[in-house]
Amino acid sequence: MAVFYNGSNNLGLSTARRNDAEGLTMKQARTGLLLGMALLLVSAIGVAQVKKATTAEEVADGDDVEFDADAPEEGEDDVETDEGGGAVGFEEGLGDICKVDPDACPKISMDEASKQDLNPQIYAVQQIYALRRERFELQPYWSFTMNDQFVSHPAPGVALNYYITNVMAIGANFNWYQGLNTDSEFNAATRRAVRVGVPLNEYQWSAALNFTYVPMYGKFAGFGDFIFHWDGYVVGGVGAISTRPIVVFDPRYRNFSFEPKIAFNAGIGARIFFNRWFAAIIELRDYAYLEELENTANYDAMFSSDDARTAWRQDEANWTDEKKLTNNVQAQVGISIFLPFSWEYRLPK
Amino acid sequence: MRRIFATGLLAVVGVLAMESTASAQEIQLTGPLAGAPAVRELRWHRNKRFEIAPAISFTLLDEYQRTIFAGARLQYHLTDWLGLGAWGAYGVVHLNTALTDEIDKVNKDRWDSSRDNDALTAVDRNASLLSVGYDFPQQLGKIQWVVAPQVTAVPFRGKLALFEKAFVDTDLYFFAGPAFIGVVEREDYSVADFGNPNKTVLENGKPVKSYPTASRVAIAPTFGAGLSFFPGSWSGIGLEYRALPFSWNNSGFDSQGGPPDENGPDSIVDEKDRQFRFNQMITISFSVFLPTDIKVSP
Repeated sequence: MAVFYNGSNNLGLSTARRNDAEGLTMKQARTGLLLGMALLLVSAIGVAQVKKATTAEEVADGDDVEFDADAPEEGEDDVETDEGGGAVGFEEGLGDICKVDPDACPKISMDEASKQDLNPQIYAVQQIYALRRERFELQPYWSFTMNDQFVSHPAPGVALNYYITNVMAIGANFNWYQGLNTDSEFNAATRRAVRVGVPLNEYQWSAALNFTYVPMYGKFAGFGDFIFHWDGYVVGGVGAISTRPIVVFDPRYRNFSFEPKIAFNAGIGARIFFNRWFAAIIELRDYAYLEELENTANYDAMFSSDDARTAWRQDEANWTDEKKLTNNVQAQVGISIFLPFSWEYRLPK
Repeated sequence: MRRIFATGLLAVVGVLAMESTASAQEIQLTGPLAGAPAVRELRWHRNKRFEIAPAISFTLLDEYQRTIFAGARLQYHLTDWLGLGAWGAYGVVHLNTALTDEIDKVNKDRWDSSRDNDALTAVDRNASLLSVGYDFPQQLGKIQWVVAPQVTAVPFRGKLALFEKAFVDTDLYFFAGPAFIGVVEREDYSVADFGNPNKTVLENGKPVKSYPTASRVAIAPTFGAGLSFFPGSWSGIGLEYRALPFSWNNSGFDSQGGPPDENGPDSIVDEKDRQFRFNQMITISFSVFLPTDIKVSP
């Protein structure tokens, strides 16, 4: 069983010092994560790393104990500060007592004291780093086609979710494809090499109402030096996608308009938190719908009369043929912004 | 549009990174915590252990044929975050895509005797004869086997809570190395070979045999990332993405080498017809770690 322990009360550290540790761990986490995303800033971030922001605590048998001073504290003891606003530590406090009454000066070995067994109450799950309950989530993202080797459909998109509970949300998302569809060179090469055409389609937009469930969350230690939080979610919904065939077989007569079709979607994603309201997301989403395909019938072989052939080609009813269940699988990469930015924990950790 | 989005994202990231950099420089932690590790008593699932991981891989975004590989990953982990080893796999199942079936069907219809007198069909036959033989799936390029020595780095290590009930140790790893790939693809063939009795695939002017194929070993980079889940002290379940980019002629077509700019057919099927493909696959594995006893960090 994992034990994520944030406690530090028993160590006699001042809140100010704990806050230093909290800030340090968060900043290290953010720095480390952003390191991978903003390579241009590698050297600057590397210089800023300050190591070893930790607290010490009890270790349960056989379990990892992660020292994370990152979670907010509640019910802290009074804070003792000096005039300059800095923290007054344990040893400085003892020094004051000894000055007033040397006989009452306690003899405490910090080394021995730190080795004593402690028995703090450890919760299986401590306060969750980023609560989602009753918060809005705004997700701008960019999507990439994962399963269409003929036409790629990259798109900017945006999602807005509202978390009813900490793990369930309702929301909507929107993708814009028009102008970004790319017909692969491979299509032309195939047509030229073997004289076989493949019906192609392009997208205009899609929109959906979604339900999100977050069944998993966790945290990672990066390079054994900083800790970041992440969660995994599943999402599904229903909406529409506007598509049309790309004319391949009879460009002389055929001209298609975009038409919306009902689309169901399902996906899985992960969120990596940089702080309590800002995260990166990566998601795999399948939009399934009935696609209308261009008619591939060989009209040259169908008619002996030119007039009959022309009439058939001009009839819009003959431009499309079958409808086929199509899966548009997208990888969506973006950011996630939670609103409001802050909240209060309902229960003590 | 893509450039604007990327620029905006980088700007936001840059601003946040610089802000954190400036703040982090102000922090100096002292006292008994100074020098303490970020995680105590971390279970070392990898450190100084051998990993044997039978794996099954599925290729992605294939134009003509999907491949399922059976293989294994053997590694020795020098530390909990660095391992050396190799991945090897053999293509045990090759599945035609719908496009392959369509090409095969159209081509066989095209050479049906009932269409011998059709002028348009004659044009199609002449234009496609060198690129597609009697049995199209037989001429397709195949990745038959792969052996890839690789270095694995495990920078991220943590835990995953499922449904707030089950907890499992998890890590995220990256790997890279050279790959030796056994490729089967069409052997060199030109229009002149139609007249060579030893190489022709024609009988009475019609294709009756598939074009011959040949094997070669390609060398390419391979890299990827994966997640490992450790349900116990000696076992792991892995999900991995691997890229294997290299040039090959996966269709067997004559599509390159001629005008314009060598981007058109040149009536010869040869190495010029190999095209760069960003080959990708997803791998699922089950790892066994030896020795089975797990060590724990201080």
